[in-house]
Amino acid sequence: MKAAVLRAQNQPMEIEEVAVSNPGPREVLVRTLAAGVCHSDLHFLDGSYPYQLPTILGHESAGVVEAVGRDVTYVKKGDHVITCLSAFCGHCDKCVTGHLSLCASPEVARKPDDSPRLATKEGDAIHQFLNLSSFAEMMLIHEHALVKVREDMPMDRAALIGCSTTTGVGAVFHTAGVEPGSTVVVIGCGGVGLAAINGAAIAGAGQIIAVDRVDSKLELAKSVGATHVVNAAEKDAVGEVKEMTQGGCDYAFEAIGLKATAEQAFQMLGPGGTATVIGMIPVGTMVELHGVDFLSEKKIQGSNMGSNRFRVDMPRFVEFYLNGKLHLDQMISKHIRLDDVNLALEALKTGEEARHVIIFD
Amino acid sequence: MADIEVETEVTGNVWKVLCQVGDHVETEQELVILESMKMEIPVEAPQAGTVKALNVSEGDAVDEGQIILVLEG
Repeated sequence: MKAAVLRAQNQPMEIEEVAVSNPGPREVLVRTLAAGVCHSDLHFLDGSYPYQLPTILGHESAGVVEAVGRDVTYVKKGDHVITCLSAFCGHCDKCVTGHLSLCASPEVARKPDDSPRLATKEGDAIHQFLNLSSFAEMMLIHEHALVKVREDMPMDRAALIGCSTTTGVGAVFHTAGVEPGSTVVVIGCGGVGLAAINGAAIAGAGQIIAVDRVDSKLELAKSVGATHVVNAAEKDAVGEVKEMTQGGCDYAFEAIGLKATAEQAFQMLGPGGTATVIGMIPVGTMVELHGVDFLSEKKIQGSNMGSNRFRVDMPRFVEFYLNGKLHLDQMISKHIRLDDVNLALEALKTGEEARHVIIFD
Repeated sequence: MADIEVETEVTGNVWKVLCQVGDHVETEQELVILESMKMEIPVEAPQAGTVKALNVSEGDAVDEGQIILVLEG
């Protein structure tokens, strides 16, 4: 199969022939139909998050089941599926207490000494990225890394549900638990931030304030549910939010991954408010807070993949899309071929566009 | 011949140990692979040297900033 192989950080990926192993007992071979190009891929490409190389990036995808391993009963050949990097073991303490997205069990991957799922034509291992590696015509994944979805769901939109939607909407629904009528601020209007805004609208938030430095992103934010916008290139975001909300918001979401914006998310809270950091802050970075703010019961927390229970959440998000509540159409700025994946990652660096989605034959 | 302490950048588990005491390693050579939130994160040699002490084995839990091995440069 063809795949985009990353051999060195900050170098273009090469489209190569890659060998994919046969499904093990609990593995599923999925033919990739669509894969989103996400800013998180860029974090691993540029080395702000280290990863084993060579690898095949891509972690936001949808496809159709091609073959299943001996013990798989959940899906069969031909089923439409969305993949999720939150592969869960199903029996650790995180899983059985309902925190599946925090499962850290390595058993959903092959063991270090097993033959690899992915390899070069010469037989050298290619490290699977987050148990998925979606920039490839096929994905060989654990059965707990996918969910079945309705066949009338368009696959390019379904792919987005695989990461950005789940991360943003899930942060609002599950991590923060936004109540109807509350005030919400989302800093950063990329794919995840827009999903958080959309999630806040579905949850019934009152004021929903979008913060970004790019006007086109703020326009997109309005189209998915933002009631107010602040261009942080022109105005002090914290001051503006405090004024608009008469003293600070109930919920702030950071969807960029920077120290400064994580600190701003906390600073713009009103008493009792909660800041949720969704963005991937580079490894080694410290975040500083004013200690006195804890006296007014302000809280700050992280959110990983929207604290998802994706087997339940993703079919619900599909329903939200199909009944017009989840706005995925405008999230896709361009459909591309696998050969153009490097250009899509370059485009992400500018911050101008929403999302490119790779379409496979 | 200064000792170089190699720390982990993240909290996680040791997935694979790729060196042993006495090995000579080159700059940026992968020494240990950590597993953290389903990510395989390599710990590389900051400079060339000989592995003087190896403080972890496969399956161990490690904290951010923990010294997992010492190189003699």
